[in-house]
Amino acid sequence: MNARLLLAGAVAVALLATPLFAGPFWVFVAIEVVVFALYAASFNLLFGFGGMLPFGHAAFFGLGAYSLAVLVKKAAWHALLALAVAPVVCALAAALVAFFCVRLTGIYLGMLSFSFQMLLYTVVYKWYSLTGGDDGLSGVRLEGALGTANGLYYLSLVLVAAMLGFLWLLVGSPFGKALQAAKSNPQKSAAIGVHVALHRAIAFAIAGALAGLAGALFALANQSVFPGWLNWTASAVPIVMTVLGGMHSFVGPVIGAAVYVVLQTVLTGYTEYWALILGVLVIAIVMLMPEGIVGWFARGRRG
Amino acid sequence: MRRIGAKNAMELFYLDWITNPTVLARQFLAGLSNGALLFLVGAGLSLIFGVSRIINFAHGAIYMLGAYFGWTVVGAASKSPLTFAAAVVFSAAATFVAGAVFEMLVLRRIYRSDAAFQLLVTFALVLVLGDAVRLIWGREENSGSLPAGLDGPLRILGVVMPSYRVFLIVVGALVCLALWALLYRTRLGVLIRAATVDREMLKALGVRTDRLFTLVFGLGCGLAGLAGGLSVPIVAVGPGLHSQVLIEAFAVVVIGGMGSFPGTLVGAFLLGQANAFGVLAAPSLAVVLPFLVMTLVLMFRPWGLFGKPE
Repeated sequence: MNARLLLAGAVAVALLATPLFAGPFWVFVAIEVVVFALYAASFNLLFGFGGMLPFGHAAFFGLGAYSLAVLVKKAAWHALLALAVAPVVCALAAALVAFFCVRLTGIYLGMLSFSFQMLLYTVVYKWYSLTGGDDGLSGVRLEGALGTANGLYYLSLVLVAAMLGFLWLLVGSPFGKALQAAKSNPQKSAAIGVHVALHRAIAFAIAGALAGLAGALFALANQSVFPGWLNWTASAVPIVMTVLGGMHSFVGPVIGAAVYVVLQTVLTGYTEYWALILGVLVIAIVMLMPEGIVGWFARGRRG
Repeated sequence: MRRIGAKNAMELFYLDWITNPTVLARQFLAGLSNGALLFLVGAGLSLIFGVSRIINFAHGAIYMLGAYFGWTVVGAASKSPLTFAAAVVFSAAATFVAGAVFEMLVLRRIYRSDAAFQLLVTFALVLVLGDAVRLIWGREENSGSLPAGLDGPLRILGVVMPSYRVFLIVVGALVCLALWALLYRTRLGVLIRAATVDREMLKALGVRTDRLFTLVFGLGCGLAGLAGGLSVPIVAVGPGLHSQVLIEAFAVVVIGGMGSFPGTLVGAFLLGQANAFGVLAAPSLAVVLPFLVMTLVLMFRPWGLFGKPE
C-alpha cells in the first residue's frame, strides 16, 4: 500500500510539474492525455463496472464539444459557463438514450447507442448554419490566464483529477457495488432488491456527462471542434484505451489513454500509417495480453 | 439559431411529383437497384452475425476491398464485358478468401472472449484495410467504366433507365435466390440455420462448427466483396468508400432483424425505397432517415421486423 501511495505521489508531482520542463507542444499532449483519461474512465464505468458495451460513446464526447462550441460561438457565452453547461446537456442526452438502452441486452444496447450516435453525427454534419458542417467550428477560445496552454492544462488536470476521484468513490460506494453486482448477475441482483435498470441508467447519465466534459475540454484545447469526433470510428478510441490499459482495474483505462496518446503522438511523427500500426497493435493485444497493461503487470508480480 | 417556421417547413417537403407515374416508376426502380446492393452487403453481415454473434465492423472495409480488387482487374478504360465479369468474380472470390483467412488467424481464437474483443478486432481490420488500400492503390479516387452492353439506356415500366441499374436488380434477385436455395435446400444451409438458433447444441451433436464458422465468415465477406466489385462502375473507388456502406448495411440488418434472411431482404428493399423517395420528398432530411428508422426500431422493436425476441 505504501508503495502505491508513493507511486501516486510521484505521478501527481510529475503531472503538476509537466509545464515546467515541457514545451507548448508536449503540454498540449499532456492535456490530451488528461482529457482522454477521463473519457476512457467514463467509458469503463459502463463497460468494466456496468457490463454494458455501448458502440457509440463518442456521441457524448462530441456532444460535449459541440455544446461548448455552439454556446461560445453562436450564443456568445463565456467559455467557463459553457464548460459547466456542456456536461449537463450530455447527462440529459445520455439519460434519454439510457431510458431505451438499459432495457436492452448485449448487442442491442450497443447497436442503439451506435444508431443514436450516427443520428447525432448526421445532424451535426448537415446542420451547417449551426455547426459549420464538415468544416467544424473554430475560434473556440477561453480568454484570460486559464486560456493559455499552461492555464488550460492545470484547469483540465484539476477538473479531471476531481472527476476521477468522484468516479473512484462512486465505484466503491453502495451504488457502485450494486452496479457491479448487476453486471455479474442481473437476475440475482434484481431478486435481492437492486433496481438494475435504474442503476444502469444513472451510470449511463454520469458516463455521458463525464465524456461530455472531456469533449468540451478537448474543444478548448484545440480551439475548434470537428464532426469526425462523433463519427462511428471515434467510438472505438475509448474501447481501445480501456482494453489496452486493462478493463478490470480502475486505473487501467487511465494508463491505456496515456499510452495511446503518447504512442499516437510519437508514431504520427514518423509515419502517416499510424492507423495500420494501431490496428495490428489492437489485434496483438486482444490475442496476447487480453488483461491489458495493468493485468499483465499484476500477473508478472504474482509470478 | 434559425427557427424552422411554417414557411420553412413547407420548403422541407416536396410532394409535387407524387401524381407523376414516370417519376414514381423511375424512383421505384432506382430504389430497387440501390436495395439490391444493400441486400448483398446486408445479407453477408446478417449471416455472420446469425452464426457467430459477431458484429463485423469491417464489413464496409471488405466491400471497399472488393471494389479495389475489381477495379484492379478492369482498370480505368476497359469496357470488355468478359473482363468485367472476371473482375466481379475475382472481387467475390478474393474477399471470400480474405475473410476466411482472417477468421482462421484471429476470430477463431476469441469466440469465447468478451464481446468488446470481437468488436475491437473487426475494428482493427477496418484500420488495417483503410491504410493498406492507401499504401497499395494510393489516395486518389478511381472510377471504372460501364461494360459494353450495359452502358446504354433501357426502357422498362414505361421509363428509361440506365441498363446497369436494371442489371444490378437482376443480379441481386439471382443472388437472393441462390442464397435462399443454399439456406433452405442444402445440408450446409440446415447447419447455418441451426447454428443461428443454438451453436452449442450443434457442436454437441458432433458438427465441426469451426469449419462452418470459417466458411460462413468467408461467405459473408464474399457477398460484401461481390457488392464492391459490382459497384466499381458507379462509385468512386477511394479510401473513404467503406464508411457509408457499413452504416447503411447496419441499418438494413437492424431494421430487418439481425440474423434473419427474409428480414435482410425486406430491410434492404425498404431502405432502398426510403433513400430513393426520401431524396425527392425531403432532400434535407433524407440523410438522417436510415438512422432515424434504425433508432426507432431499436427503441421499440429491437429484434427488428423479422427477428425473434431473445
